[in-house]
Amino acid sequence: MNANVLESIEGFREKWPFTAHYVRVNGWRMHYVDEGAGDPILLLHGNPTWGFLYRDVIPPLVKAGYRVIVPDMIGFGLSEKPAREQAHSLDGHIANLTGLVRQLDLRRLMLVCHDWGGPTGLGFAMSNPERVRALTVMSTWAWPMPPAEFHTRVFPWRTMHAPLVGPYLLGRHNVLAWRGVYLSVVGREKFRHEAQAVYEAVLPDAETRLLTWVWPRWIPLDDTARARARFTWLEAELAKSNLPTLIIWGREDEVFDATTFAERFKRLMPHAEGPHMVTGRHFLQEDSSPEITALVAAFLDRLDEKEAS
Amino acid sequence: MADVAVIRRPPNEDTRQALVLTEDRVGHYPEFRAFFVRTFDLDRVGLSEPGYVQAPSGLVYALVFIGRSGEPFPAGLEIYTIVPALEPLDDVVVDQDLWAILGWMIEGVGAPWTVEGLHATGRLYRIPAAV
Repeated sequence: MNANVLESIEGFREKWPFTAHYVRVNGWRMHYVDEGAGDPILLLHGNPTWGFLYRDVIPPLVKAGYRVIVPDMIGFGLSEKPAREQAHSLDGHIANLTGLVRQLDLRRLMLVCHDWGGPTGLGFAMSNPERVRALTVMSTWAWPMPPAEFHTRVFPWRTMHAPLVGPYLLGRHNVLAWRGVYLSVVGREKFRHEAQAVYEAVLPDAETRLLTWVWPRWIPLDDTARARARFTWLEAELAKSNLPTLIIWGREDEVFDATTFAERFKRLMPHAEGPHMVTGRHFLQEDSSPEITALVAAFLDRLDEKEAS
Repeated sequence: MADVAVIRRPPNEDTRQALVLTEDRVGHYPEFRAFFVRTFDLDRVGLSEPGYVQAPSGLVYALVFIGRSGEPFPAGLEIYTIVPALEPLDDVVVDQDLWAILGWMIEGVGAPWTVEGLHATGRLYRIPAAV
């Protein structure tokens, strides 16, 4: 990734003034932001975004007294982008995150999980519960069988990432970072003006976009799915977990609709707070970062008070 | 999609093969792998030679099948366009040809996959060759 491309985007540095940090995990170079001091909050993105998704969440959480760490998943953002599909697996991405957290020796973590940041972040949390204080889930899932009816449809979901079609549509034409995110926000003109060019710029060439069609292929659709066992484990572990959990969902989310997904998280973790509904489709941070920030900060304040008492 | 045709090996004097599309997991949906095995007799031919198709522009494309230990063959697929050795590609033409090849493949794979579904997906994402 040529950083000059990002710098050439009008207003980029004002929106993203954070210092770049790098760490090597599982042999890959991972980019992350590390701002502020205090109990750590780990903000996790999914497909096809990067830490930029949280640009308006980071400063107010730092101001509220937290250390905010925002990694770019290997394959996205400013992290290394492996050129072969076989470099990616759900377990591998959980291990990447674990590598980052252990190297930074983070404890008392609040994990904020969105999209594939859910299965990876929650997978990390369930395998390292001693490092985790609380969870937030947003527009994601953590169980084995098809996340939504949408994911079982041949048109458009399965066609989009079918053999050769995925590399053509998502590789040659970058449709997920271009059209896909645009269609999955509420304030589309604001998004087009403020963010779209940034999401496209970090995936400049076909081979850098590999993970945009590989992640969809990891969504379990039947009993033979590669990640089925890991999702089965994840669901069972979450059901046993008593980690304080906050559920935030986009009111307009059509893909991970709240009625199906937020409610299922609530049934899986009945002690969870929420779901709190905010304006947003799948990429709800683009529409409701101030509201999400306020909900996370208030939740942690209440946790502090409870622990103090 | 009769405008894509399987052909025999073309003459290769003063040409080069230019890589235009790569698929690491052609059997993600096994019916796609089965289509290529059936169309190019891969159970017999194996790795001995690529498959060749002629696209609507008249350009010929070589389909190079990739084997991976422990996985059914082919595991992957690379598509190369065969062009005059020292000439650059016409990317618009290649893109239109690839779209036609995808349609030919989907038609050959068959239900529940449909060319109409592919074209609708292309239009949804405003792919130039689909609109």
